[in-house]
Amino acid sequence: MSLPGLTIIGESINDSVPSTKKLFDAGDIDGLLKLAQSQDEAGAGYLDVNVGPRPPEFMAEMVRKIQGVTAKPLSIDTPDYEIAKAGLTAYDPARAGGKRPVLNSISALRAKMFELFKLQPFMPILLVSENVVDGKSQPCRTAEETHRAAQELVKTFKDQCPGTTNADYIIDPGIAPLGSDSEGNIHRLLAAMELIHKDPAFAGCHASVGLSNFTVMLPSKRADGSPVKGPLESAFLAKAMPLGLDMVIGSVKRKYEKLPADHPAMVCIEDCLKLKGFDVLMRVREFYA
Amino acid sequence: MSEPAELYDAILTGNAKKAEEITKAALEAKADPSQLVQKYMIPAMDEVGRRFECNEYFVPELLIAARAMKTAMELITPHLAAAGTEPTGRVIIGTVQGDLHDIGKNLVASMLEGGGFQVVDLGVDVPAEKFVEAIKEEKKGAILGLSALLTTTMTMMKNVISALEQAGVRQKAKVMVGGAPITQQYADEIGADGYSDNASGAVAVARKLIASID
Repeated sequence: MSLPGLTIIGESINDSVPSTKKLFDAGDIDGLLKLAQSQDEAGAGYLDVNVGPRPPEFMAEMVRKIQGVTAKPLSIDTPDYEIAKAGLTAYDPARAGGKRPVLNSISALRAKMFELFKLQPFMPILLVSENVVDGKSQPCRTAEETHRAAQELVKTFKDQCPGTTNADYIIDPGIAPLGSDSEGNIHRLLAAMELIHKDPAFAGCHASVGLSNFTVMLPSKRADGSPVKGPLESAFLAKAMPLGLDMVIGSVKRKYEKLPADHPAMVCIEDCLKLKGFDVLMRVREFYA
Repeated sequence: MSEPAELYDAILTGNAKKAEEITKAALEAKADPSQLVQKYMIPAMDEVGRRFECNEYFVPELLIAARAMKTAMELITPHLAAAGTEPTGRVIIGTVQGDLHDIGKNLVASMLEGGGFQVVDLGVDVPAEKFVEAIKEEKKGAILGLSALLTTTMTMMKNVISALEQAGVRQKAKVMVGGAPITQQYADEIGADGYSDNASGAVAVARKLIASID
């Protein structure tokens, strides 16, 4: 379930989801197509397709078959050039109301992927949590580094894909699991989003994160039986959407909602933003324990 | 004053301050540092691992406990070294070349330290040659832990194993692998010696491997 102003890229067709991997391994294409249909019906704006380390031809086959059962545009999800090429080539915009596919994702190290734009114009997710310094890639540790990485990657995109505008790309500043965030990633992330949001050079761009990563490795329920993940992710959205977040790769089954300021998950996130190091983990534990 | 036995609870509950206090007091009272490790600290981390495996503990508890363990270990290590006591074993760990993901690798490193291993963390985006050099520098055999999150970088694990073979040091390293796209089947295919799909299980695998090093 989505919030107004938030587009969900349905994450279920992904080889790293254990239940989906079983479908892939069993060759259960019908089961995979049902996943596509159910996410479509539940309100996904896009459907992510990640076939793991399977052959490019399999990605092409999946794209064609999924487009046979849904009119939603797809998100071709792979770090592999050949798999991306196969998926994009197989994609038929006419079956998705003329909409371009998303390519998830391109980092500075994978800029070669922009060459595929000529084959099939796509909307890239630009992963800007990594930057290249002296020819070597490294994780961005500060909001300023993330902002700079975004400036550089957007420039590369616009140079290599002429005629594109800010509305044609999606910035992903990189979200990390809150349950292991002793290094202040949530602080970096929100500060980076603010820098990008306030920078006129990025006006009109989209921004997305892989939202389920935020609560991965946490329990599903608090001690009182109430849910952990949906409220924490909703609390994150409450902080991030005013900073330009308008898309997430996430679950259509998750209840994303506007929470009151005094909701325990909202208070937890606010507290985490005031804390540092392991105190963040202690506060998260206090939320669910 | 706290008794050394309370060190077990301090680590289990992740109370780093308490763990530090108890360890300092115990060392001042001339407690056997090796006994503190073997009797209280490693069993506490083993219990953390057990609770993690059965979903009583989650990653925050695991990390908080590992920090308490590390705090105590930093006080104890000089005493162990002075007494000539060796760690359970040494682990060289890193994320393979082309891959900048470090969360899983860091979790495994923390749990291995908690399990009494001495861990040398080479970081992320580590070229095969760097792993080979690190193994060459080991006086005795060591465990080599390789992590990858991407399907495009997991293939580097095979390259590392080949590089070890070419350098003639494959027998010095017990290679364990892990990361989201890695499976036992993949580990077997590339000739790795061990695999775990979680940080707690990695400690059990490392203990088996270290026991098999000549």
